[in-house]
Amino acid sequence: MNTAARSLALLLLSFAAAASAQPEGKVLRVTFQVAETGFDPARVHDYYSGIVIEAIYDTLLTYDYLARPAKLVPNAAAAMPEVSADGRTYTFRIRKGIYFAEDPVFKGKRRELTAQDFAYSIRRFYDPRNRSPYAFLFTGKIVGMDELAEQAKKSGRFDYQAPVAGLQTPDSHTLVIRLKQPDINFPYVVAFPLTGAVAREAIEAYGDESPSHPVGSGPFLLKRYVRSSKIVLARNPGYRGKTWNFDPGDNPRFKQIAERMRGKRLPAIDGVEISIMEETQSRWLAFQRAETDIEYQLWDVAPTFMTDDGRLKPEFVRRGIQLDRTVDAEITYLAFNMQDRIGDTPNPVGGFRKERIALRRAIAMAYNVDDQIRIIRKGQAIRAQYPIPPGVAGHDPKYVGLIPYDPRAANALLDRYGYKRGADGYRRQPNGEPLVIRYTSTPTERDRQFDELTKRALDTIGLRMEIQKERFPEYLKAQKQCRVMMGVAAWIADYPDGDNFMQLLYGPNIHESNNACYDSPEFNRRYQRSSQLPAGPERDGLYHEMTRIMETDSAWLLLDSRMRNALQQPWVVGFTKHPVLHVEWLYLDIDPKPAY
Amino acid sequence: MLAYTLRRLWQFIPTLAGVVLLVFFLFNWIGGDPAYLLAGKIPNPETIANIRRQLGVDEPYAVQLWIFLKQILTGDFGVSWSTNERVSDIFATRLGPSVTVLIPLLMISTLLGMAAAMLVAYVRGSLTDRSVMVACTVAQSVSILVYILVFQYFFAYQLGWFPVQGWGVTFADNLFRYAVLAIVVGVAVSLAPDIRLYRTFFLDEINQDYVRTARAKGLSEARVMWVHVLRNAAIPIVTNILLQLPGLLAGAFLIERFFGIPGIGREVILAVERSDFPIIKAVTVYVAIATMVVNLVADLLYKAIDPRVQLK
Repeated sequence: MNTAARSLALLLLSFAAAASAQPEGKVLRVTFQVAETGFDPARVHDYYSGIVIEAIYDTLLTYDYLARPAKLVPNAAAAMPEVSADGRTYTFRIRKGIYFAEDPVFKGKRRELTAQDFAYSIRRFYDPRNRSPYAFLFTGKIVGMDELAEQAKKSGRFDYQAPVAGLQTPDSHTLVIRLKQPDINFPYVVAFPLTGAVAREAIEAYGDESPSHPVGSGPFLLKRYVRSSKIVLARNPGYRGKTWNFDPGDNPRFKQIAERMRGKRLPAIDGVEISIMEETQSRWLAFQRAETDIEYQLWDVAPTFMTDDGRLKPEFVRRGIQLDRTVDAEITYLAFNMQDRIGDTPNPVGGFRKERIALRRAIAMAYNVDDQIRIIRKGQAIRAQYPIPPGVAGHDPKYVGLIPYDPRAANALLDRYGYKRGADGYRRQPNGEPLVIRYTSTPTERDRQFDELTKRALDTIGLRMEIQKERFPEYLKAQKQCRVMMGVAAWIADYPDGDNFMQLLYGPNIHESNNACYDSPEFNRRYQRSSQLPAGPERDGLYHEMTRIMETDSAWLLLDSRMRNALQQPWVVGFTKHPVLHVEWLYLDIDPKPAY
Repeated sequence: MLAYTLRRLWQFIPTLAGVVLLVFFLFNWIGGDPAYLLAGKIPNPETIANIRRQLGVDEPYAVQLWIFLKQILTGDFGVSWSTNERVSDIFATRLGPSVTVLIPLLMISTLLGMAAAMLVAYVRGSLTDRSVMVACTVAQSVSILVYILVFQYFFAYQLGWFPVQGWGVTFADNLFRYAVLAIVVGVAVSLAPDIRLYRTFFLDEINQDYVRTARAKGLSEARVMWVHVLRNAAIPIVTNILLQLPGLLAGAFLIERFFGIPGIGREVILAVERSDFPIIKAVTVYVAIATMVVNLVADLLYKAIDPRVQLK
């Protein structure tokens, strides 16, 4: 079809879609606050697309729904991988009898999921044409794959048939992955939703349109799609199914869930209708009018439905509304640029000289994190004391940070290290030169609030602050190029292991994930050791030391981890927010709804 | 008329060139580097370079500008940088919802505005006229955001007359259920400025000699107003409506965001947030061309409505 005819057909369709595009039966209605970008696992970069991908594709491993801390379990793999003695070879046996959802590309035949599909899906992350945002999950890890990617960059074509020593399929249901060096976190990588298996024929048939034609073997399939507006998933009729049989442990809430859900065939619901609603008022009113069933993203209006002690207000309890409250596996932090220079200019907050450390620490001591939680987060966050948040292996709930909120002590510290006040009341550098702290943020309402709190903190200790506004892409660019003197950053767990957070401070990750551009030999040495250790007391000890080193150098001020308040209508059964899984749609059910 | 039309079409070229240069340099100056957005959580310099190469943003400005010009000539703006969707498909799929809201909105707003404006113009200086003008001034000074928040809260949430948000699968469902509140908000927002503007058009006509002549001939007031005055006042009103149209298509983003309407305005905002230059380029060029074409059509209509008008 030529472009004009195609556009005309789409234009006519844009007035109305086929009515049959709606699933019938128990349909869960949820919202996204940001529009998705597409559903090709190797090509997406945003969280919301990842949610849909998790519902459509099968990964090798997944997480037990109720185990806390999060625990890996087999998914498309028949069992957990066999790991060689040297920790470099992982062998996955793929479960037999898993089929892709029906699609015209399969020409009416059932198409079984094989080890080759997983191998192909992993190769796609290395293909430069896909410019895969999550290539970092595999880059530098699998024997022979980086070399193949290098060849593709030169030739302009990625060879999907080339034999690779590190990625082999001795038979249709066995996948052998050889790593360059032992990586104890590799099983988490193959549980990441974007590593779900795609069918090569579907990717090749849909080409550049593969992001809007997902074909997976997971519990749901894409039924209707109006980009940036509506995503309707229906139960995949060919899905192998699972039985709800999770161990609730001693958790009373989990026991209630288990009581209602045990033995049910999954998925218990017939579909999911996702509406993209950017505005909080729309989401909040739609939930109250029972136009949606679960609402996760209501930080701004949390005081409307919650008491100060984090419980649901009585009027909502009376209506049967349920609240599930968890701490997100994330941290936010104030990062100081640790480099001595920013471009050609000396960086007044950078380096490891004592007066620079004193300056950073004074700023950290003057910033009131409790005010941030009260004013910006509206009480919906907890103070972060440790670089690894709750729910992630390696978190230390007893750890107390070295840097208290104490503006008076901060002033005294600056006095002691020679930051004297000038006639204008602002402090100057110890060598008498003017001192201006440049703080970078984006032009959003939320960031304006951060600007004000930071300005207030710096004013209390006599530091002149200049706010530099950058649009988000430019802010990211400046961060990665170590051009941000001071700014707030955040990290959400890709997998529930402390390594995913500690790598943020590892020297060689400067220009990648190390936003403070922090390069401490003491920290780096410990990180290298910790990355070879499984979770346990020895690694926890190293993490403890690394955190102390970071705090002593005052590279970051840890800020907070946000609470996630998931509101559910009375008819939603079996829901609890999993700390790592993006969505819980596979594990819940819907009771008949009363007339509203 | 043909010579005039051709001359006007010829003038499109320098105007469009100005728009193209402006959007090109503005984007490259303040638009932000999309590579860092697309590179994911842990980008490395090599990934960034690969993305920039694929998007073509590492090419010299002259080459990028040439590609832009070719896109305008062929009407093919390529694919969205963030979603890989064809830009032509994006506009084709978003136009339906936008038109479903905007056409009824414009029609209702224009009819109500004209009726009210004619009435207050007829009784100008009276208490009614002054009261309506004060009410219009107050209504006009309230932000569209306030209208949306209040209307959505009362009519959708409190009274439950409409869904809070959403977009259905059939045209009838969309027009008579989901679009209604958005149309009501749009009408409420545009009515006050329309009445004030149209009133001046009517007042201009009411004071003309031909109106006095018509009255002297013994024509009824209704005929004077509805036939003679309305016909002449319709000329600037039509011009005004046509000129509003392109801007409204792309500018209705707040209404579309709050009511979950998958229209063009919402897409434009998404494109700006994501530094998605192909969409920004396309919408700028489309709006510029539409504005110029509408201007020309308005002038030609002017002539059609009033044969006394000379096109030069």
